Amino acid sequence: MNRTESHAIIHVIDDEAPFRRSLIFLLESAGWLAKGHESGEAFLDHLPDFPVGGGCLVLDIRMPRISGLELQRRLLATASPWPIIFMTGHGDVDLAVQAMKDGAIDFLQKPFKDQVFLDTVERAVGISQERQQASQRCQDARHLLARLSPRESEVGRLLARGLSNKEIARELSISDNTVHVHRQHVMEKTGTGSAAELARLILRADPNGLD
Amino acid sequence: MRLLIFLLLALPTLALAGDIRIGILAWLGEDTAQTQWQPLGEALSKSLPDHPIKLRYLDLHQLEAAIAAGEIDFVVTNPGHYVVLEARHGVTRIATQLIEPGQDSAHAVGSAVIVRAQRKDLETLDNLRGQRLAAVSPEAFGGYQVIWAELKRRNIDPENHDFLPLYTDYPMSRVIDAVRNGQADAGAIRSCLLEQLIREGSVNNDEFRVLSPQGSDSPCQSSSPAYPGWAFAAAKKTPEALSREVMIALLSLQRTDSVLHWGVPADYHPVHEMLRGLQIAPYDFLREHRLASQIHRYWPLGAAILVFMLLWLAYTLRVEVLVQRRTRELSAALSARDELEENIRTQQQQMEHLSRLSILGELSGTLAHELNQPLATIGNYAHSLTRRLNAGRLSNEAVAQAAGEIANESERAAQILESIRDFARKRVQPRERRNVVALTEESSRLFRGMLARAPDILLNNQLGDTPSDVEVDPLQIQQVLLNLLKNAVDAHRTAGDAGLPIRISLDRQGEQIRVSVRDHGIGLNEDARKHLFEPFFTTKPDGMGLGLSICKRIIEAHAGQLAAEQPSDGPGLSVSFTLPAACP
Repeated sequence: MNRTESHAIIHVIDDEAPFRRSLIFLLESAGWLAKGHESGEAFLDHLPDFPVGGGCLVLDIRMPRISGLELQRRLLATASPWPIIFMTGHGDVDLAVQAMKDGAIDFLQKPFKDQVFLDTVERAVGISQERQQASQRCQDARHLLARLSPRESEVGRLLARGLSNKEIARELSISDNTVHVHRQHVMEKTGTGSAAELARLILRADPNGLD
Repeated sequence: MRLLIFLLLALPTLALAGDIRIGILAWLGEDTAQTQWQPLGEALSKSLPDHPIKLRYLDLHQLEAAIAAGEIDFVVTNPGHYVVLEARHGVTRIATQLIEPGQDSAHAVGSAVIVRAQRKDLETLDNLRGQRLAAVSPEAFGGYQVIWAELKRRNIDPENHDFLPLYTDYPMSRVIDAVRNGQADAGAIRSCLLEQLIREGSVNNDEFRVLSPQGSDSPCQSSSPAYPGWAFAAAKKTPEALSREVMIALLSLQRTDSVLHWGVPADYHPVHEMLRGLQIAPYDFLREHRLASQIHRYWPLGAAILVFMLLWLAYTLRVEVLVQRRTRELSAALSARDELEENIRTQQQQMEHLSRLSILGELSGTLAHELNQPLATIGNYAHSLTRRLNAGRLSNEAVAQAAGEIANESERAAQILESIRDFARKRVQPRERRNVVALTEESSRLFRGMLARAPDILLNNQLGDTPSDVEVDPLQIQQVLLNLLKNAVDAHRTAGDAGLPIRISLDRQGEQIRVSVRDHGIGLNEDARKHLFEPFFTTKPDGMGLGLSICKRIIEAHAGQLAAEQPSDGPGLSVSFTLPAACP
């Protein structure tokens, strides 16, 4: 295991200090980089200091002042990248359901088995990394597509939709030859070898790019 | 003065037709007066030939009545009486009598207090305290009032019984007689009377002494200051011209007789002052403040005030009655409210007790939550240690940290359990003797008070006349009853009709009194009934299964039994407990 190298940080936010420390101890036993916060405010105060290198939040749903749900709402408002795992006590099921609706990865009812906890954390970190990668791929794709001239991107989008050169020429009222030249440039600039590859690239940059 | 008289004389004499009617104070009796004043009448007749002079001799009251009736045109009277008549009837003095040669008109009348010469104990007026003082009349000016004023000035007042007045009435010689024969210790007489009587020889020169003699420049011995002499006054309606005519005549008289000695009208102000000080006529109204006669004088005002006060009293009484009524109503309302509050408070206390008793049910949630934290923490450390050991990364520091935390958390868990045990620790409460019927009714009321839509609770008392007292912890028995009633309502609710009535039956089972709570729910099968009183057995989705097990413990602690049975007369469940009847 070399999870520490992933730069993922698990933030444990719980007002119960002994329990919070035990979770950090557990996370560290499993090789994670973990950091405890005694309250939602404390976490928000240090938010700018944390690298956005994956990781997740483990959040007690009941806390004084800023509750877990409130913290979740505030993070959603700032488009925070962290997946959230909620910990709930006895009888907090309704709150947990609300938390799930608001996009939490999972909720664990205390007391929970250490393995379940660690599995959930791992899954959350995976989701976080996926989100990061998806974001990266989107940015890369947009970077490539940004190289195309307006006419080239027009030709490219029609190509990705599966239109033939002839059809594109008719659609854009240009000659077959001109379409052919544009197609060559599109493939070269985006580094794609086929219309299907180009279509994936466009969708990566914008899921609605081919509508 | 001469010039004035000359001028007056020079005025043309007015020819006024008609009589001149003169009223004269007859202070020594009418005959004496007639003798005394006859010369004045004759002299005036001569001076005023156009007017027949008619003299009338009257006493004080007659004189005043004659003036009031307009029967006389002029009045001749003593200074005190003149002041009264002036005040009451508006008479105006036109001349003042000069009594003795050498006196001026303003200082002619004084008073002398005489004592027998041998009374050495009486030297001054101050010695009169406690003595008998003879005088003609309380209304006599020179004969009494002047001396009264002098004595009052020395704080000797007959009205305070400082001395005893003895009124002899006129003539004034009676006063001298009273002193002479010892009827009185002293006598008040007009000054100059004594000298006159000595001159006449009716009194010996050394027979009497005058107390506090003053006015050495006066020809007569006096015990008082001198006041103006008698007044010759015109009645209010007497024409001014006639008054002037008479005045001129008086001043022009040849002074051959004492009654012909008239001078210019004196200032009677000192007389006013004196009479005012004595608060006698015309200043008698001053004393009326102190007298009941004030009521007479002011009776309309008094009556108005009285009526007002009566009305006010009636109003006050009415208001008082209303206030008292309102106060009663208010305090009744307040006490009703207090009673209600007290009821609520009592119920709340009992509710608290109930929840305290069924604490384990309520507590399980809290208990789970409270214990979860330390247990989870301990588990986390234990698992972590295992993981690190397996991964070959277990450091001494990690073991020390985990062991320390585990120890702390297990202590914390122990504390939580301890506090719960304290909380649930059985109360030690002395047993009380209670009537089981009353206790049941009380619990029913309490139960109905606790629910928003409480069902009817029908009490079927089959105990009859048998003794129905039990020795119990009433609150605990109440808890059991409340628990059974609650279960009955729950059973009805499950059956779909929470409004069904609940029956409570009371009957006798040997020495035990049985209380049965019967519901008409769906009942329980035999297996469920068997486990009904076991802890954590429940048929309710959200029940803890503790209520009846606690009830069972309570009833058994009271030497009774808790049982559940299928009623023979239909669906539902009958849960009953027994309690030993107390000895009669």
